[in-house]
Amino acid sequence: MWIADKYIDYIREQTIENPGQSWGKMLLGFQANKLRTKLLPKKEISKGYQKLEALMMSFVADSLCRPDSYVWGNIFSPCEIMQCFGLGTLSIECLACYLSGYHLEDYFIDYAQNTGIAPTLCSYHKTFVGAIDSGAVPVPQYAVTTSLSCDGNLNTFRYLEKKKGVPFTFLDVPYGDDEASVDYLAGQLRDFAGELERRFGKTFDEKKLKENIRIENETRKELMRFFRLQSEYYYPGELISHLYMMMGMHLLIGTREFLDLVRFMIEEIQTYPKFEGKKILWVHLLPFYQESLQHYFNTNQKYQIIASDIILDSVEEMDAEKPFHALARKIIHNAYNGSYSHRAELVCGLTDTLRPDAVIQFCHWGCKQSSGGSILLKEKMQELEIPMLILDGDGIDKRNSHDGQIKTRLEAFLEMLDSEEKEREEVC
Amino acid sequence: MLGYICKYAPVEIFESMGVEMKRIEPDVTNFNQAEIRMHPNICSFAKGVLEDVMSSDYEGVILTTCCDSIRRFYDVLREEYPGKFIYMLDTPRITKDAGISLYEQRIRAMIRAYEEFSGKTFDEEIFREYIKGKNEEQQIAVRAGALNIGILGARANKNIAEILKTKGTNVAFDLTCTGLGRKVVYEEQNPMTGYVGGLLSQFPCMRMEQASNRDELIRRYADSVDGVIYHTVQFCDNYAYEYAWLKSWLRSPLLLLETDYTKQSYGQILTRIEAFLESLKPDVQRIQRQTKGENAMYVLGIDSGSTSTNAVIMDRDRKIKAFSVVRTGAKSGVSAQKALDEVLQRAGLAREDISWIVSTGYGRVSIEFADENVTEISCHGKGAHYFNPKIRTILDIGGQDSKAIHLNEKGEVKDFVMNDKCAAGTGRFLEMIARTLEVSLDELGAIALTSAEKIEITSMCSVFAESEVISLIANNKEKADIADGVCHAIANKAFGLLRRVGLEPDFMMTGGVAKNPGVVRAVEEKIGAKLYICEEPEIVGATGAALYALERISEE
Repeated sequence: MWIADKYIDYIREQTIENPGQSWGKMLLGFQANKLRTKLLPKKEISKGYQKLEALMMSFVADSLCRPDSYVWGNIFSPCEIMQCFGLGTLSIECLACYLSGYHLEDYFIDYAQNTGIAPTLCSYHKTFVGAIDSGAVPVPQYAVTTSLSCDGNLNTFRYLEKKKGVPFTFLDVPYGDDEASVDYLAGQLRDFAGELERRFGKTFDEKKLKENIRIENETRKELMRFFRLQSEYYYPGELISHLYMMMGMHLLIGTREFLDLVRFMIEEIQTYPKFEGKKILWVHLLPFYQESLQHYFNTNQKYQIIASDIILDSVEEMDAEKPFHALARKIIHNAYNGSYSHRAELVCGLTDTLRPDAVIQFCHWGCKQSSGGSILLKEKMQELEIPMLILDGDGIDKRNSHDGQIKTRLEAFLEMLDSEEKEREEVC
Repeated sequence: MLGYICKYAPVEIFESMGVEMKRIEPDVTNFNQAEIRMHPNICSFAKGVLEDVMSSDYEGVILTTCCDSIRRFYDVLREEYPGKFIYMLDTPRITKDAGISLYEQRIRAMIRAYEEFSGKTFDEEIFREYIKGKNEEQQIAVRAGALNIGILGARANKNIAEILKTKGTNVAFDLTCTGLGRKVVYEEQNPMTGYVGGLLSQFPCMRMEQASNRDELIRRYADSVDGVIYHTVQFCDNYAYEYAWLKSWLRSPLLLLETDYTKQSYGQILTRIEAFLESLKPDVQRIQRQTKGENAMYVLGIDSGSTSTNAVIMDRDRKIKAFSVVRTGAKSGVSAQKALDEVLQRAGLAREDISWIVSTGYGRVSIEFADENVTEISCHGKGAHYFNPKIRTILDIGGQDSKAIHLNEKGEVKDFVMNDKCAAGTGRFLEMIARTLEVSLDELGAIALTSAEKIEITSMCSVFAESEVISLIANNKEKADIADGVCHAIANKAFGLLRRVGLEPDFMMTGGVAKNPGVVRAVEEKIGAKLYICEEPEIVGATGAALYALERISEE
């Protein structure tokens, strides 16, 4: 670990000194970490989560080594279409997380802000914009983004198109969820497939897309099964494991490899003991670096995150025979689209099925659409008599999350849950 | 009466039904209701609209899916007013045929919903007649001989244009959502489709796919004016991208102006606009000279800041005769009088010997004995040039704000940025930390120089930083190391400001914090260059004001 830390510090210093010169070394670090996840996985977490980490590390490291093998996307971009062309989708949010592995997020964020980008913008976007604008990270030949969930999407991609010349397709996701909306988006998705044909000189195979969607349906069903099991069994993982799961569900869904992994996890989890502690349903992003949260949720038999709405933000069965319409419908029905009551319904659906002891929503700095509804969700949870904690912080920029404040809130909340249980026991 | 906020709202549809439409322009003093119902990071405009709606009597509000904050605002409003017509109109971002067709469907659905809600009926014939003959309002009006200013960016409340008008400048164009005139397109054959197409083809806002067309339009408009004010709203991030982009190629001088839609932000807007206008045309602000003693030989500059009030007396040969620095008390007028008395006494002069007095600083308008006032930004520029003509970049860290100013070789202000919204990176922040460390402000800088261990204060907010410092104290860290960490935190903030104005050497630091050796060293490390600091860094602004006064005398 000492060598790894030294290397991270070295890359950080090199990048700050000369942002255009350290990319090769960064790639080497990603490759080394990929090998580490395979050869020396974290022993304290389950095999399933080890494999998940290795899969996501390979996906990112291998894609970045072959610039013609991927496009930039946002987390809601239809990776199923890219897969038909043999292309990976590297979401800018995930790339920002991986770059923060070199502790460079503060440098990139400051770089973007000093150029004039708003300090109140989402830190994932600022990290990414700073990384690209500073010249530290090279650009691919194409990109795609949706308007879903976040104002930053269109603007970040447009800004980088102007500054770095990366052309992109913009998919306008309507707010309404009627058939007219589905037709409108399905048309754009079909045009996008045509655009990829022209750009990458490959023919689009609709059969492949249908197959991806069939796998996707299976994966979603299996994931729900896994969540149910995770609310019954202790399954050691880390905060970051849930982020990897979110990445997998958005960037690798539709692939056989990811489906197989979820199935492996379903088998494995049943070999663990029953979980007797407090079950937490997590809402929105997870600040994977936060010490207090790591202390309570990394391999802890007393408190376990059993599911997150950011992993499963869409629950419907897709019609593989009409793949563009199915994708359009899925994106439009996503929990993060439309009014907040739609997202609240999905969270309530998860609480019905998984029966968590509590809900924690993390309000990530700059994410207005999510933070903006937190008070409404809390009211909804109060109706259902499920305790809910709202934590404010930043998913990536440590300077915006004060550990002491998060620790006090979290511990008070957990004490409250524990004392409620004690009271119940005494009454019985 | 229905309220609306967005230029894409089909206002004319409702007007043709006899409904009074009011564009909601919040001008509020607090966000009390919003703080209960909404998360603090929602944009200030949305919060302001909530305050406005809750204190007015609208029968409903028409919203569009313009941004994340407004989408959440709709959820809150619908919850709050189930009996009102709170309608979210799904507005496409694509202006091609598919977008127009979807928007027409959405508008027709909205009409049906409103008919059901209100009992009124929409008549397409009446609507046709209503929009017939409505023309697009003129968007640009450059006036010869005047200082022409354009406004761009996010929706702006009326204050900006009003301040510009009172300063005698011409607002040549206002391309913000609130400044644009309505664009109503009339098509004989299919009036509704034509109208909807017209709505979507307005000068695009940043949520629209076609916003890239904005560049060409902006280039054309901006070339015709003397300067452009780029407005952003706090917690609305979309327009900052465009500002960052325009800054790299727009030829016209550009001022970034952020507001938060409260009445309190007026003072901050005023200082920035005045300084911008002064940098464009130095004479724009001058008032008429009052009669003074015929044989007077001296002028006086006075800088009323939040921490100190400083006065400088200068003779006709541009020599400083005397200066005074007094702490600003609860009343700036009293402190100003004290500074005046003190400087006169030191110079051995009487009030009648002073021909002209220029005031500057936050309290500049409250100094009754001043003949005119000039912003502290212009005064710092002039003062810095006086002390050292090689200076191109000034860092001024005062009690309640910090600023970076870029000068040309004549000492004229070419660009500036200010931070007066948060205490981090200001003298107040240092005071707060010194108190926490139980050392005096003077000691803080000195002990920082003896630091042995590097500690990083990462929190960007002064309140967070203070609790971070308390944690460090609890961890038994050395005071010297903490002090050094704090100085570096200030330097990081300062560097951000300096970078935004271009980092051209030579550098000068002014303001009370320039006396802090810890901060000076940290800033020098960060910029990789020496800072020029004059003997009394607190009087640079007052010296600049005295120079303005001298120029005025020379003009006579």
